[in-house]
Amino acid sequence: MKVLKKVLRKILNSLIGIGLFIGKIWKHKKGKIGLILVALLAFVAIFAPLIAPFDPYDVTERAAKGLSPSWEHLLGTTINTGQDIFSMLIYGTRVSLLVGLVTGIAIAFLGAILGIIAGYVGGMADNLIMRIVDIMLVIPTLPLTIVITNLFGKSYFIIVFIFVIFGWTGLARVIRSLVLVLKNSNYVKASELAGGSRWHIMTKHILPGVSHLLIMNTALTCAGIMVAEAGLSFLGLGDPTAISWGKMLAEAQSGGALLFGHWWWIIAPGIGIFIAVFAFMRIGLVMEEILNPRMKASSGIFKLFKTLNNTYIQEVFDGMNEEVLTTKEGEIS
Amino acid sequence: MQKSFIIKRIIYAIFIFFVVLTLNFFIPRLGVDDPAERYYPPQGNMSDIEYEIIKQVTREQYGFDVSTFKQYTNYVEGLLRFDLGTSFRTGNPKVSTLIAERLPWTLVLSVSNLVISLCIGLIFGTVAAWKRGRWQDSLLLNLSTISVALPAFFIALILSFYFGFELELFPAYTNPNMVSQFDWSWEAIKVVFFNAALPIISMSIGGIIGYSQRTRNSVIAVTNEDFVLTARAKGLSQNKVLFKHTLRNAMLPIVTAVGMSLSGLIGGAVIIEQIFNWNGMGTLFLEANNTNDYPLMMGIMLFMSTIAILANLIVELTYSLLDPRITVGEKR
Repeated sequence: MKVLKKVLRKILNSLIGIGLFIGKIWKHKKGKIGLILVALLAFVAIFAPLIAPFDPYDVTERAAKGLSPSWEHLLGTTINTGQDIFSMLIYGTRVSLLVGLVTGIAIAFLGAILGIIAGYVGGMADNLIMRIVDIMLVIPTLPLTIVITNLFGKSYFIIVFIFVIFGWTGLARVIRSLVLVLKNSNYVKASELAGGSRWHIMTKHILPGVSHLLIMNTALTCAGIMVAEAGLSFLGLGDPTAISWGKMLAEAQSGGALLFGHWWWIIAPGIGIFIAVFAFMRIGLVMEEILNPRMKASSGIFKLFKTLNNTYIQEVFDGMNEEVLTTKEGEIS
Repeated sequence: MQKSFIIKRIIYAIFIFFVVLTLNFFIPRLGVDDPAERYYPPQGNMSDIEYEIIKQVTREQYGFDVSTFKQYTNYVEGLLRFDLGTSFRTGNPKVSTLIAERLPWTLVLSVSNLVISLCIGLIFGTVAAWKRGRWQDSLLLNLSTISVALPAFFIALILSFYFGFELELFPAYTNPNMVSQFDWSWEAIKVVFFNAALPIISMSIGGIIGYSQRTRNSVIAVTNEDFVLTARAKGLSQNKVLFKHTLRNAMLPIVTAVGMSLSGLIGGAVIIEQIFNWNGMGTLFLEANNTNDYPLMMGIMLFMSTIAILANLIVELTYSLLDPRITVGEKR
């Protein structure tokens, strides 16, 4: 009973914390639009079967091929199979959100654990993790993804797996450099002197110290992953049975949307991708401003570009440059 | 710069190269029991004995008849002679010849993309930094958000639709004769220019905004440095402060960014190349994947990784040469 109470209280506390945090984002003038969009996307993804007017998987509508937008088919139908594009768009939200969120959270876990171990434990563990990072960064990601999906079958599980394997490196490095700073702070030193175990220090002192970076990074990673997922689906590496925005674009291209002038078939999934990525980026940037007021919003995008470019030294040197930037900006404002 | 630092870095790069090479060799083999079967799928009209013989011949031809370890040593041995292996394609061309054929066409896209992004990005970024907080700056900020959320391949599709199919200004698909008929004549260069226009534009939109953002942040960081303040206090003109003191120092991170993007240049934009049917490295890799051409896939991946390792090494060494503030041999 006592344990249950403790667990319940912890869950309640963290829920309240998340609620307060969302409230803070809501109060921020830029964050409101991001929150509304994410809520909308989540609603659409969960209730897709109720919202979609037609069955998007239905390819038997021979009479309804290649229709232009009308009140019945809001975005028309596909040219070769007669599927309702609006319904496909709604179902596509599920893949994008699911892949983005699952990958983002998994990367946050892996990156935090490995980054904290590398930074705090140091020595052999640090060396090993950083060498793995070095190797990961020179392996060409997209070709390897193509090879792996070819070998192990095309599914979103494999895609998420590859994203996580390649995605944790950037986060782990950022966390590690922050941990190296925290390690020398007075409260960690005090805890060490008081006889706190490594585990205690890592979970109670270091983890809260890097949590703001972690949360913000997760939102920005989600945005980046959604773009990457659309690209892979476009190449036909996603689950062939699922409907995703990237695959819709590929079908539009191969199905003759360009040739017959059906521009709505291309624009619709593109807008879907845009809204989803934009919403998560907005939330990430606002979180950054709330949690780390010294940082100006622009540096978050800077960071996202860095994670997308995915190269080692660039990040290190950019990081240095950014440190200069943020402290200078802090002094001024 | 100490000599030991250079040697250490080079040895480390070679170590990384061997690890990548090993991964590169084993990963494509993970899910495959018999490469011959992948290469030559069973056909209905063939008896089991016939098929066995064909598979045996295939194995011997491509060196799969020995143990995996022997294959690995053979592969490494070949690499030491700069031999990337033989492709499974008809005529069995060398992997290196295939890469050499396609690489220039990828470079046409990627190098012009880099040049355009860099030139325009530098100007935009400097303007945004100089007019910090005014509309030019906030425009750049908003554009950055938008450009990240709009994937390059979506822009490519839109451009191909509007300029290729509706207006018919540029070809929406690359003319397949472009490569075979290229002879450095004025006409041929014009054809390449027209075919490359749309892919380059769709690639460089993200690049322009990325470099602008980078330049802006870098220039602002330098503007706050003491030596710029001193230059201003001396009463130098705005232009002199900007060009002589700020920009020159702000270039350093940009140079690094360019150096790091060099490895991306040869990989080619797989999706963009596929949309415009451009015969570059990206499409070569997709072709290799679709035909289970392992030597070709391994060759391309190794080539890309090697360039990435070299670029890392060169940037690391030149950076420590360029910037005296970076202490060499400092523990990372």
